[in-house]
Amino acid sequence: MASRLLSTAVKSRVGMAKQFVRPLATSANVATRTTTLSNGLTVATEENPSSQTATVGVWIDAGSRVESAETNGAAYFLEHLAFKGSKPSQIESLGGNFDAYTTREHSAFLAQTFNNNVAQTVDILSEAVQNPNLSAIDEAREAILKEQQKAANNGEQIVFDHLHATAFQGEGLGRPIAGTPESVQAISRDDLSNFIKNNYAGDRMVLVGAGNVNHEELCKLAEQKFGSLSSGSLSAKLAQKPKFTGSEIRLRDDTLPEAHIALAVEAPSLASPDYYTSLVMQSIIGAWDASLGGSSLLGSRLSTVVDKHHLANNYFSFNTSYKDTGLFGIYFATSNVTQIDDFVHFTQKEWARLSQTVTEGEVERAKQILKGSLLLGLDGSNAVAQDIATQVLATGKRLSAQEIEQAISKVTVADVHRVANNTLWDKEVAVVGHGPVEGLTDFLRVRGFMSYNRF
Amino acid sequence: MAAISRTFASQLVNRSYVNVPASAGALKKAFSISSSSRDEETQAPTLASTKSRSSAGPLNRSLVNAAPNTNYQTRLQHTNTTTIPDFSKYKKDGNNYDSGRAFTYFMVGTTGFLSAAGAKATVTDFLANMSASADVLALAKVEVELASIPEGKNVTIKWRGKPVFIRHRTGDEIQEAEAVNVSELRDPQTDAERVKKPEWLVMLGVCTHLGCVPIGEAGDFGGWYCPCHGSHYDISGRIRQGPAPLNLEVPEYSFTEDKLIVG
Repeated sequence: MASRLLSTAVKSRVGMAKQFVRPLATSANVATRTTTLSNGLTVATEENPSSQTATVGVWIDAGSRVESAETNGAAYFLEHLAFKGSKPSQIESLGGNFDAYTTREHSAFLAQTFNNNVAQTVDILSEAVQNPNLSAIDEAREAILKEQQKAANNGEQIVFDHLHATAFQGEGLGRPIAGTPESVQAISRDDLSNFIKNNYAGDRMVLVGAGNVNHEELCKLAEQKFGSLSSGSLSAKLAQKPKFTGSEIRLRDDTLPEAHIALAVEAPSLASPDYYTSLVMQSIIGAWDASLGGSSLLGSRLSTVVDKHHLANNYFSFNTSYKDTGLFGIYFATSNVTQIDDFVHFTQKEWARLSQTVTEGEVERAKQILKGSLLLGLDGSNAVAQDIATQVLATGKRLSAQEIEQAISKVTVADVHRVANNTLWDKEVAVVGHGPVEGLTDFLRVRGFMSYNRF
Repeated sequence: MAAISRTFASQLVNRSYVNVPASAGALKKAFSISSSSRDEETQAPTLASTKSRSSAGPLNRSLVNAAPNTNYQTRLQHTNTTTIPDFSKYKKDGNNYDSGRAFTYFMVGTTGFLSAAGAKATVTDFLANMSASADVLALAKVEVELASIPEGKNVTIKWRGKPVFIRHRTGDEIQEAEAVNVSELRDPQTDAERVKKPEWLVMLGVCTHLGCVPIGEAGDFGGWYCPCHGSHYDISGRIRQGPAPLNLEVPEYSFTEDKLIVG
């Protein structure tokens, strides 16, 4: 899908770039170049000739959300199996590292090496993606089940898995990435090869190069190694936007020392024009941790209240966006379990304020923080490659650092009020609590305070 | 974007090790350069671990603020509590939460309106208790037959316990009242301000000094004279001489065809 969009968009983009006058302090070679091969595979690179290393990776528009309830975990299996082939193990002798990860939307296989090893790296990636060692399935099954047990101690992970499960109940997006114990036990070799057949198609893949990679060379390598992939087609299921359901899950366990809680509403998607405004809103609410050096002095109003009254051990506002939907919310962990309702109250007050009385000063401050966070993060070839892939798969193009900065600069107080009104004010909310959560506000009250009759 | 933000999330994750005492595990975590270690699976593939090693002493690092971040992708599963029963039977079609709102708001609004109307009726009933009764209201107004007062005569009637002077003035008297130079008066008022019809002068018969009842057709100015302390009022009831500070007060009154209604 992304690549189809690209084939028409790329040429005009290159033409446009010439018209811009480049500010003196920017580097000349920041444009992302994209080419679409005949089978729909997109090759995208950001060249940095001064670098000694390069990251090459394949991102596939096939994460856990395209699995069925029975094959839940298939993408994650394939991530594990990618390491079991003979070629991936060679990467260490080349002095690089090979990594793979699975998200709800993407399967990613990437490697970082010295720049003269790019050809071999693409070869290794090609095998990891197209010929995973499916015979090692039982080994992977054991490892995944073990990991699931280990994850039972990670409160944050539990909360976010359940938050997706309840907010997107009945949808692929709600299923856990690693699958459920039942589905992991039941997955067969056929399920995995079907998953590859249905999803690993050229038009749902992007081969990304960042660092010292030559675009033309990478295109040639892609043609050689990935040219045999089918051009494929999207299943109709993907085109449908997942439904958000306001709901609640409480996993009460009073023996745990900390309560982990998350509240979330449906947020703009990655492709939405309101996406950056939503990120600004997230910055306004902010993030805080009791162990921070300046914990009582952060700009966010919520952090001041939380710090003064010891309402939490840490919290962060999140904005998890997918290509057609997203979650905006807040996560917090607290051992002050009798004052959970206070935290929820002040959070909801801040949320209501976003739609009503948030000030220009707050918005400007949040924009600065956001610019820093987004742009300072693009500091390594891995981070750059990941950014290129996520953007190209979601929107079909990649915004340069300047374009991101401009998009954020354009956000006004009125925008924040409008987007907050559309996403937060009197909207359905999903709540998940894990641990000693007896004091967590009743769901109907939480829903009721999504809007205020007074202020 | 999610990807970049995840990078910050991983930094946040690293930060959580900052204040951990130098346990073997923490040290191992901070100093390992993992090329293919699967322990770091939950993090984005950044070189966070190597980066924190290069900054001077990761275990002593103290951050000033926390960058906004998204949750990093959670992927592991502990039990299968994430399988939610199918509630689609109870859900509205098309995920349209607003469809039910019109009815809800209508019911809430109507109930609110009816309660408000009921509350208003109750309050009105109680307040009505405090208002004046019919016999009191009946005494609040006095009617005077105008035909019964000949020109050039005074009539004194009782209204709400006070005397009211009514004078049917003659043409000469009207001229006299209007000819007075207002600027010389203690309480400057033209005759036109004090009467509705020039031939009818209606005033409270209470001296504005200390409340005696002045005598009609007496005094130096052809109007009223207060015998208590010697205040002289003219034919328009204005104070002209003596201690009273103000003109005689004009009550609320109106005319019907042949009657004067005071009050």
